[in-house]
Amino acid sequence: MTFHDILLQQVINGLSLGAMYSLLALGFTMVYGIIELINFAHFNVFMVGSFIAMFVLEGIGLRGQARVLTGVPLVNALVLAFGITMLVSGLIGVAIERTALRPMRHVKGTAAMITTIGISYILFNVILLTVGAQAQNYPNPLPAGTWHLGGAVLRLREVLLWVVSLALMAALHVFVRRTKMGKAMRATAQDQEAARMMGVEVDQVVMLTFFIGSALAGAAGLIFGLYYNYTSFLIGYQAGLRAFTAAVLGGIGNIVGAMLGGLVIGLIESVGGQLLAVRWTDVIIFSILIAVLVFRPAGLLGLSTPQRS
Amino acid sequence: MRRRNTPALGRALGLAAIVCLVATLVVLGALPRGLAQSKTLYVGITLPLTGADAEDAELIKDGALLAIEQQNAKGGVAGYKIEPIILDNGTATAGQYDPAQAATNIRKLVANVGVVANIGPQMSGSGKAMSPILSEADLATITPSSTNPDITDPKFASQYRPNGKAVYFRTVTTDAYQGPNMANFMAEKLRVKSVYVLDDSGAYGVGMADAFQKRAGVKGMKVLGRDQLNPKEADYTTVLTKIKGLNPDAIYYGGVAQAGVKLAKQAYDVVPKLIKAGGDGVQGASFLKAGFPAVDGWYSTIAGPHVTEDPKAQAIVQAFKKRWGKNPDDYSITAYDAALVIMDAIKRVAASGKPVDRHSVRDAIQTTHLMTVQGLISFDENGDIKNRVVSVFQYRHNKEFPDDDILHQIKYIGIAPQD
Repeated sequence: MTFHDILLQQVINGLSLGAMYSLLALGFTMVYGIIELINFAHFNVFMVGSFIAMFVLEGIGLRGQARVLTGVPLVNALVLAFGITMLVSGLIGVAIERTALRPMRHVKGTAAMITTIGISYILFNVILLTVGAQAQNYPNPLPAGTWHLGGAVLRLREVLLWVVSLALMAALHVFVRRTKMGKAMRATAQDQEAARMMGVEVDQVVMLTFFIGSALAGAAGLIFGLYYNYTSFLIGYQAGLRAFTAAVLGGIGNIVGAMLGGLVIGLIESVGGQLLAVRWTDVIIFSILIAVLVFRPAGLLGLSTPQRS
Repeated sequence: MRRRNTPALGRALGLAAIVCLVATLVVLGALPRGLAQSKTLYVGITLPLTGADAEDAELIKDGALLAIEQQNAKGGVAGYKIEPIILDNGTATAGQYDPAQAATNIRKLVANVGVVANIGPQMSGSGKAMSPILSEADLATITPSSTNPDITDPKFASQYRPNGKAVYFRTVTTDAYQGPNMANFMAEKLRVKSVYVLDDSGAYGVGMADAFQKRAGVKGMKVLGRDQLNPKEADYTTVLTKIKGLNPDAIYYGGVAQAGVKLAKQAYDVVPKLIKAGGDGVQGASFLKAGFPAVDGWYSTIAGPHVTEDPKAQAIVQAFKKRWGKNPDDYSITAYDAALVIMDAIKRVAASGKPVDRHSVRDAIQTTHLMTVQGLISFDENGDIKNRVVSVFQYRHNKEFPDDDILHQIKYIGIAPQD
């Protein structure tokens, strides 16, 4: 393999990582855009999502990577897994908002944020105590399709990851820009009181935001499992922290910024790891984050709420 | 309404919780001291029963418990009943062994005068945190699996045993042999010419990788690079792609299962054809169960002789299967031996007429001369076992047995070449 092939391969790796971070970052940025809350429970909604999907896939008879599906059965399995995972994750998000965060919405200071950290730990420990601490061998029905681009290899799971992520992000974009509910979200983000006076049901909008953000986190959890053939109760922390960084890098509250931030972090991670050493990954990522924030304190695309997305 | 009630209720609940906590602590603190007056001796078992290595830790615990139960069934040791105190060295936040928790656990055991010895830890990172505390208390531990040589090395005595006497005994040898002997094996038997070395940033992993790398250079293997994996990270495709570009013959990984499973899975996709090898951190149930089929082909070692297939050990293997319903691994047997060593020491102290306490038991462990299924166990003045055998294994899938059957899915290759 020539250096160019290696670099191309690292870009493929980085885009895959980035797509996952982007999906996860969207949840952070949407919630922040609407109610200015950093939702740390999001880390572990992602983790729980990967377990829900695992149970669904095991429920339809898949164990480890032994059984490969193709054609219609594969599409059915994936649609079922994504559908149930996103629905359940979304409902978990709604439940968190309704039970723990809504009573706090008018409390000033960091109480609500601390609450989200608490919820994050609850989710983490629920999985630890029910499923156990061992690493999970993820059920994966994807065939091992590969394409060769020079010396670099593009695998089916990368293509799937990109396609699903792009589709979900595009759907979100259209939803926020083109639907009535999206308009209500943008209005709420701009000025909650004014929106309420214009007849927007703010509580519903916030709940919907949590539903969508958490559903995307669940989808990211499933993608994570299929991509690495692995999940564990621990995966939320590292991926969540990177995704949060991506949201800040792109400009927290800004949907397009979150997508861009995720891709940038993914690429920094892979290309940076190639050129330096992987043990420096966090140093590189956070140095770049600080450098960006020094010159553009509001992030790459600026602190805009979803109305400009 | 609800909001007004909450502070009062919260305060009452908080008070109740504190009262409960204090009561529990008082009872727990008082209990063992009270019981220690009777003819019962306590042996600690401290292992990471939570986290990525939980399954292997269970196998170790089960080995030690089996030996203790068998002895108690025969009426105990010199009239004493042996009571194990099992503590978890793993924490949820670490996701694997946690040295801080190991230190807390050993302090708990030290505070209980009835504890005469300890079995554990599984991991060297925990051992480094425990050893100074053990030394201050003059309480011996016997580790059935932790292999980092620094802990017992006289060079670091001021750090790990400030009181001078050996307190960290092992029924396995150290990475001073495990890493280098594997380098010998890879150079001589597998004809590896170039290698990329990885570790998992833990005390054990870094030590293994260092020892391997040093000997690899001596044996004429070219070390094309060295990098460190963050065990909490999910993605290792970056470093594997980099390795693919360098095109070595082999990868050597020093570390335990948490990073190891992910490394194996991703290496299976990115660099399927390379030879992959590790130490006892990638040997066993945790790695096999979560890693199948990606672990197929991996070489691993243990820091002792392979005994579970040895006819001499079959009585223990069968008893283990009967008691726990699963196959033991070699470190179940070294744990079984650790318990035997402690009970043998207690027997000798009692026979000599001296009071049986942690000090006399430590002294007796030092002079152990005990035949077990793994051979003669005796320790040098640092606590290391004198028998220095490293065994090599390879994961080879056998369709006739369950995918997670450690006895049949990991094939014994032989003893790694010594110098």
